[in-house]
Amino acid sequence: MTKRTKGDLLLDTGVYLFLIALGMIMLLPLASVFSKSVSEEWAITSGKVGILPVGFQLDTLMRVISSSMFIRAFCISAGVTLIGTLISILMTALTAYPLSKRNLPGISFCMVLFIFTMLFSGGLIPNYLLMRQLHLVDNLWVLILPGMISVFNMLVIKSYYESLPEALEESARIDGAKTYTILFRIILPLSMPVIATIALFYAVGYWNDYFGPMIYINDTALKTLQLYLQDVVMDANSANLTNKSIDDLMNMSPEGIRAATVVASTVPILLVYPFMQKYFIKGVLIGSVKG
Amino acid sequence: MGTGATELNRKSRAAAARSRSASKWRIAWRNRDYYVLLIPGLLFLLLFKYTPLYGVLIAFQDFNIFDGIRGSEWVGLEQFHKLVRSEEFGQVFMNTLLISVYKIVLLFPVPILIALVLNEVRLMFFKRTIQTIIYLPHFLSWVIISGLFVTILSTSGGLVNNIIQWFGGEPVSFFVSNQYFRSLVVFTAGWKEVGWNAIVFIAAIAGIDQEQYEAASIDGAGRIRRMLHISLPGILPTVVLMFILRLGSVLDAGTEQILTMYNPVVYETADVIGTFVYRIGLGKMDYSFSTAVGLFNSVVGFILIVSGNYISRKLLKRGIW
Repeated sequence: MTKRTKGDLLLDTGVYLFLIALGMIMLLPLASVFSKSVSEEWAITSGKVGILPVGFQLDTLMRVISSSMFIRAFCISAGVTLIGTLISILMTALTAYPLSKRNLPGISFCMVLFIFTMLFSGGLIPNYLLMRQLHLVDNLWVLILPGMISVFNMLVIKSYYESLPEALEESARIDGAKTYTILFRIILPLSMPVIATIALFYAVGYWNDYFGPMIYINDTALKTLQLYLQDVVMDANSANLTNKSIDDLMNMSPEGIRAATVVASTVPILLVYPFMQKYFIKGVLIGSVKG
Repeated sequence: MGTGATELNRKSRAAAARSRSASKWRIAWRNRDYYVLLIPGLLFLLLFKYTPLYGVLIAFQDFNIFDGIRGSEWVGLEQFHKLVRSEEFGQVFMNTLLISVYKIVLLFPVPILIALVLNEVRLMFFKRTIQTIIYLPHFLSWVIISGLFVTILSTSGGLVNNIIQWFGGEPVSFFVSNQYFRSLVVFTAGWKEVGWNAIVFIAAIAGIDQEQYEAASIDGAGRIRRMLHISLPGILPTVVLMFILRLGSVLDAGTEQILTMYNPVVYETADVIGTFVYRIGLGKMDYSFSTAVGLFNSVVGFILIVSGNYISRKLLKRGIW
């Protein structure tokens, strides 16, 4: 029998208070921006909206989602994310396979080649000049090709392959299966949990990427969602800079528009989040526990 | 007999070496399918990772985009002299170190605390809910997070300024304040990642042998003592490893984060090496100087990471490679 002492009670109280406070800090900014996006305009401009919405309207959100700029940016981001994730996961899963055969001659040298790129890079300008030479500036492929393989992700998949029992491959080989058959019929299907996790990380990476598009995409017709969002967010911010209330400049509340744009760009992540949660914890553990 | 044996040994070793190198090729040829699979990955490395390393040469030139690397004038270390003398770079370097050190000192312990505290929660439902909430910000982009904080810190009806005014204070424009900007950067970085960074420590606690807890409680240790004397020492190797890795990236103060948040008013306190390279290189088109700054950053970062890994292998017998 464990008996609860005073110290235990104190500890429990502290634990729950700490975690509730932490949860609140994480949720408040989200709640606040959501409330602003659905509140009545007069309430936003007079600063009455705190955590809960004042009044309720979906006009601002509808106006934001139906703007042609938003739709185009959203579709570009969705396309880049979809195609980028497919290419990345294929390249990563295939490249990791030979690298997991440590005893093959030359493989450890190839590993060094890959790992070195994690530690040392040419930097921004040499990369930019290369993309220019390859005519990839203002071309959406620039958002996918240079990041096709993340070496870190590849190491995670590789260590998963290495954890599979060797007897599986041996017996398949005795049955006459060749390398590719073994890879596609046995190894990849068995690795689906880790592949799904890594695919998820790639997808989130492509969807959230801001630095890449900012550097390589100048054409307004090719703006991704993050670039578009930054324009909306920082526009209002630069109005702050001049210390003039932007409300005087426009008759609709820019605060509301900004909040609605943030909400509209967050929704896709929030929708897939519950589904991905069961995967990513597994994936992180695979990645981090390896010594 | 001694000499004869070594003679024989040497001969057979030489023969073995010869046949080993021949059999190496044979092994490789028999497994050629594996090497074929490697080709796309190696081509990717060559084109997108190693070609830019050749481009680093422009740090030693007065690079002109029309003449290219072959046609541009070589100036030796002049760009690096400029870098050392530049007051602006000194400022940027200090900003980078300050922001990074603040992030480490203030944020590194938090995930450890979160993991220890979560381990004490017995209500599974509550535990799962809190975990779901604190992991979530990790999946939001910096642009969205900037948007969130611009909204709640806004001087016209933002949540935080409303509260400040309730208490009779003056509203603060956090995003254009040299006084508060660094705190804003550190706080938002913490908001995004502390929950996520706790996962590693949560996993480490889960790996501690349960018998230790049982033994301790039979010996009369309360929960606080078990937390301090079993959980904490149990995750110490993980803590040290994560800390060393974190130190390795001390020159990366969060380029993308700061790019989405800052503006010319706060360059003085917020410009870090990453944003500086971007501003000078692509903004002012000073390619050579910007590449020199980038190269400096890469070299120092490389030394830090490699020595961090070396220390961790010595100390903990494990590292990242």
